[in-house]
Amino acid sequence: MIENSFNRRNFLKVLGWGGATAALSGCGNTSVEDGKEFVTSYVETADYIIPSIGTYFNSTCAQCDAGCGIMGRVREGRVLKLEGNPKASINNGKMCGLGQAGVQAHYNPDRIREPLLRNGDRGEAITWEKALGLINEKVGGVNAENIAFLTGVVSGHDKALLKNYLDALGSGHHYVYEAVAPSVIRAANKKAYGVEMPRLRLDKAKVIVSFGADFLGAWVSPVHFSQQYARFRKPDSGERGVLVQVESKMTLTGANADRWLAIRPGTEGILALGLINALAAAGLSVPGDVAAAVGGYTSERVSKDTGVSAEHIGKLAALLKERSPSLIIAGSAAEGYAHGSQNAAAIALLNQILGNVGQTVEAPSSTPFPQMAPTTGNRLALQSLNDNMAQDKVKVLFSYGTNPVFTAPATMKLKENLKKVPFKVVFAHYMDETAVEADLVLPLNSAMEDWATVIPEYVAEGAQLNIRQPLMEKLYPGTLGLGDILLGLLKYRRPDEYNGFEDFYSYLRNAMVTNKDALGGASKDGDTFWEAALSHGGVKMVGEPVNLSGNVSATTLVVPAPFVEDATYPLHLIPAVSASMRDGRNANEPWLQESPDPLTTIVWDSWVEMHPKTAAKLGIVEGDIVEVASKSGAMKAQAYVFTGIHPDVISVPLGYGHDAMGRYAKGVGANAFKILDPVFDKETGELAMHETRVKVTKAGKRVIIVKDEGPAGGNQMGRKIAVRLTSNKVNLSEEV
Amino acid sequence: MNYFLRLSVLLVGLVVSAGSYAANTVQPLTTADDLGPKVEQPFEFPHNRHAGNADKGGMEINCMYCHTYARRSMVAGIPPVQKCIGCHQSIESVRETPRIKKLFEYWEAKKAIPWKKVHDLPEFVRFNHERHIQRFVFAQNKPVQEACGYCHGDVKTMTVARRQKPLSMGWCVSCHQKDHPVDATSTKTTHGPNDCWQCHK
Amino acid sequence: MSITNLLTNWSDFRQQHPSAAHPHREYKWAMSIDLDSCTGCNACSVACYAENNLPVVGKEKFAHGHSHHWMRIERYWDNDGREFADQGAQFLPMLCQHCESAPCETVCPVGATNHTADGLNSQVYNRCVGSRYCNANCPYKVRYFNWYNYPTTENVWPEPMNQQLNPDLSVRSKGVMEKCTFCVQRLRASMNDARTQGRLVIDGEVQTACQQVCPTGAITFGNLVDPSAKVGKQWKQQQVDLNIDKQPKDAEEKAAKLRGYRILEELRTYPSVMYLEQLRESAV
Repeated sequence: MIENSFNRRNFLKVLGWGGATAALSGCGNTSVEDGKEFVTSYVETADYIIPSIGTYFNSTCAQCDAGCGIMGRVREGRVLKLEGNPKASINNGKMCGLGQAGVQAHYNPDRIREPLLRNGDRGEAITWEKALGLINEKVGGVNAENIAFLTGVVSGHDKALLKNYLDALGSGHHYVYEAVAPSVIRAANKKAYGVEMPRLRLDKAKVIVSFGADFLGAWVSPVHFSQQYARFRKPDSGERGVLVQVESKMTLTGANADRWLAIRPGTEGILALGLINALAAAGLSVPGDVAAAVGGYTSERVSKDTGVSAEHIGKLAALLKERSPSLIIAGSAAEGYAHGSQNAAAIALLNQILGNVGQTVEAPSSTPFPQMAPTTGNRLALQSLNDNMAQDKVKVLFSYGTNPVFTAPATMKLKENLKKVPFKVVFAHYMDETAVEADLVLPLNSAMEDWATVIPEYVAEGAQLNIRQPLMEKLYPGTLGLGDILLGLLKYRRPDEYNGFEDFYSYLRNAMVTNKDALGGASKDGDTFWEAALSHGGVKMVGEPVNLSGNVSATTLVVPAPFVEDATYPLHLIPAVSASMRDGRNANEPWLQESPDPLTTIVWDSWVEMHPKTAAKLGIVEGDIVEVASKSGAMKAQAYVFTGIHPDVISVPLGYGHDAMGRYAKGVGANAFKILDPVFDKETGELAMHETRVKVTKAGKRVIIVKDEGPAGGNQMGRKIAVRLTSNKVNLSEEV
Repeated sequence: MNYFLRLSVLLVGLVVSAGSYAANTVQPLTTADDLGPKVEQPFEFPHNRHAGNADKGGMEINCMYCHTYARRSMVAGIPPVQKCIGCHQSIESVRETPRIKKLFEYWEAKKAIPWKKVHDLPEFVRFNHERHIQRFVFAQNKPVQEACGYCHGDVKTMTVARRQKPLSMGWCVSCHQKDHPVDATSTKTTHGPNDCWQCHK
Repeated sequence: MSITNLLTNWSDFRQQHPSAAHPHREYKWAMSIDLDSCTGCNACSVACYAENNLPVVGKEKFAHGHSHHWMRIERYWDNDGREFADQGAQFLPMLCQHCESAPCETVCPVGATNHTADGLNSQVYNRCVGSRYCNANCPYKVRYFNWYNYPTTENVWPEPMNQQLNPDLSVRSKGVMEKCTFCVQRLRASMNDARTQGRLVIDGEVQTACQQVCPTGAITFGNLVDPSAKVGKQWKQQQVDLNIDKQPKDAEEKAAKLRGYRILEELRTYPSVMYLEQLRESAV
């Protein structure tokens, strides 16, 4: 596709004349105007470039960590639209809204355009040379033990370079932090299956019981799971898969379930054990020790503890016994408690009893280059960094790909502890909450200007290395990619090794071509291999399947009794991870702000979801501004009343409430991260996201909620608009 | 556009159209010229020298040799500097003339030449060069210069191209309403598309 | 001239009632949306923003109903008074239905919206004077009016966000109506390609932006005239006939039901979008 890098670079140049200004004039320009505009023309061009026809370049999405293959439509040197790469096995040409908004991260008017050095309250623009020199001076002036690198998920050559840099510094302090990652589930999976993230085959399952895993919305690899879901719902056999979602607050996945079971918060493990007991009673063969361990979980008791009716437990057990294989998924609703690990273990045990391991829970492949395998993050990492900062153990801090000042609960006092670090370097796209605390801000390339390789945590088939390549010329000459910055820093430390590389591109190309045999390019010469890899957006690698080995011991499995009531803070707070906002890093992309939340259809604000019963008890109606107060803090937002939530629970979406970052994010909604209580999972030490207890009071004001429920306010007025049938009335196998 | 202006245009339009509807005759393909303004270009490109007839000192180069995209894209395109140089690097006789020197200056600086648009349609119009060329040149076997000339006038006699036809909607439609043979041999005729969305975007 | 053209060819532009006597000759673009596959994720809606230069209007204007969701996801609850929405929500992607007998077309005072030969309900921005009659008469409420001149409105397309704009279609100015076009710019491009090659557009050759991104493949789009097109096969299998306003299958009492239906069909709009009913398992 791309003959040589010279042509390519030339092509990616923005042809500034005509282009954007022409598009904007729109209907304003109504006459034939000679000699006003410039014609798009090139100095040199390649055959595949035809003006007015888009050219597509493959790359890898950077909006979340799922690593979908994307295809940028480029015209006249500008990237116009991101589409899915049909050859990518994760997303097969499909995309989510979040991914598509990546183009707005690239063209965002609030991007930082040059390195900024703190001077009092202001950031002063400095050169990269000075910035990197300063960093080198600072890291040279402290004990390596006192240098810390905080990042989001890293993989590929960025990770390898980062490790080399840390080695060169002599410090191993790399904290990988993800604010909303399924980190307890990963630990539980490791115990139960021997791997942190097994491959889930939704498409093979006949019944899926998901304990709060929002796999259609924001969980692990939603675009991939959505495609599997489509095949699960409409397999060739015509036997439609049944989805049961168990959670206290309805997620997008819950909204698509055949049966949504509102469960008392934290009792997911009890229900899982109750189901095992019911299955044993229904004649499923269950090992003796397990049967003994779950014997006490009778339908009556489980129903009383969980709030799920005995009838539903019975029906669900019958369905699971009758239709095999099934798939049980533990998600964030199950893991978010102090006993999250136990919940997850109980759910994994249910999978084992049903014989799903090896059927719908498959072994992933290992990555042949472990130094490039993804390092997933957790909340414990931030906790330990925070403790070290509090004890003045951190002298130089780097932060990349996270926004801890925004996502850390107020009780951590992270912002105060950050002040104890004498030199803070933040790699950032925007002046977000963390960047404004920095001493040195390094502006990053957008994902549409950057070179990188990515190995996603969840790979659909085999092992693969995705490539991220520039889709157009850099908008601002003053930004750099992580790879280039690390390379620049390494040149100070290990000049012999790295001075030979002009830039990260040449490093990457060299590293890939040198290892081409292991990257599936043994039969090709270096150039052909590299061009093919770019053209495909990645390479397939040969990975060994990892054996599923673990086991949950029923005898050690203890699931605690349900919560006791708290008179002062009677409600449970569920901080919701929405498909668009996630942890808030994409909040400055206006398409996402204006894209309605699927369930509430609310735009441009936070809200507090509550059940009509709860609202009635508190005298709240839709639009009331309410105060949500926990032991750790309080926030205000508009109340939204609906029946997709347990009456003991209220829910607030995460990602809103920025007080920095940019024009589209700042001041929109309230930040629910701040009021989370410091309660931790007992086994992993992870912050238990669903453990916060709150009280809700009216704050006096009432607003009209800005939402988009359709012209009749979400009411069908008795018309046949959105219609629902029971599945046994339809013959799906006859459908086209 | 100003809202009130729009409304008055509508009213005038209705009156005019009522009149023209009464006298409903197919208008002949207008050949009336509507000469556009002279357009200042970075340097004067002599179309007559390149495309003009040999007896007038022209090279009779096919329009599509340089405007290579016309047959495969919406836009005809301006050739890349590379293309000019392709020939001119081996034409020593004019190498030192002012225009060619300027051309080489752009080439050596690796800068595209900032040509101005001469035939500039409004942004809401989708005019497809490819379809017209395919139809008239490739299906009907019309000479290239004649086919291009329907809209661009007699470019081979111009130095810097200058608009010769009105390029207004009515002018487009006048041709679209006429019956044209579908190809060089057939007696079957058809007219151009007349739905708004064919051209308006 | 142009109005003459419009008046002379009025019957081409405006079909009163579709019938077998006036079949579509080469193309009839149509869609089907499987509501059992649709998860309500909004990817289609964002794709539409990216493809069609839709302005982000912000909270205040959104509150005034000025949003531009050419493709919007409507969400309905079907609780019947139960304590919980325990069968989930009903999501309905709503877009211009490209009615064969479109109520918007008849009321436009200036003929800015009319029917194309390939079965689209067109909206010509230049001709539109902003009477908004079409919007008032649209039963699906899928027409969106430009209350402001968005290209010059603060923070709609601030530099360099405007570089993302798709040059294949115009950016609408204040005072004109707009709506889903079935991505006409994509259709025209592939129809022109096909014509140059002396053939018709092959099924799957052209996709609308919403169809292209849909993670579950709930949206099918194609040429209803083409017997090999999936969309036509679906319509046929579901016994939904474009030219009928009361499908005979709905009157039949059968054990196995067909899921296909068109919204507000009884208004005799003859929409070009067929929906497939959402399903729910009764065993749980």
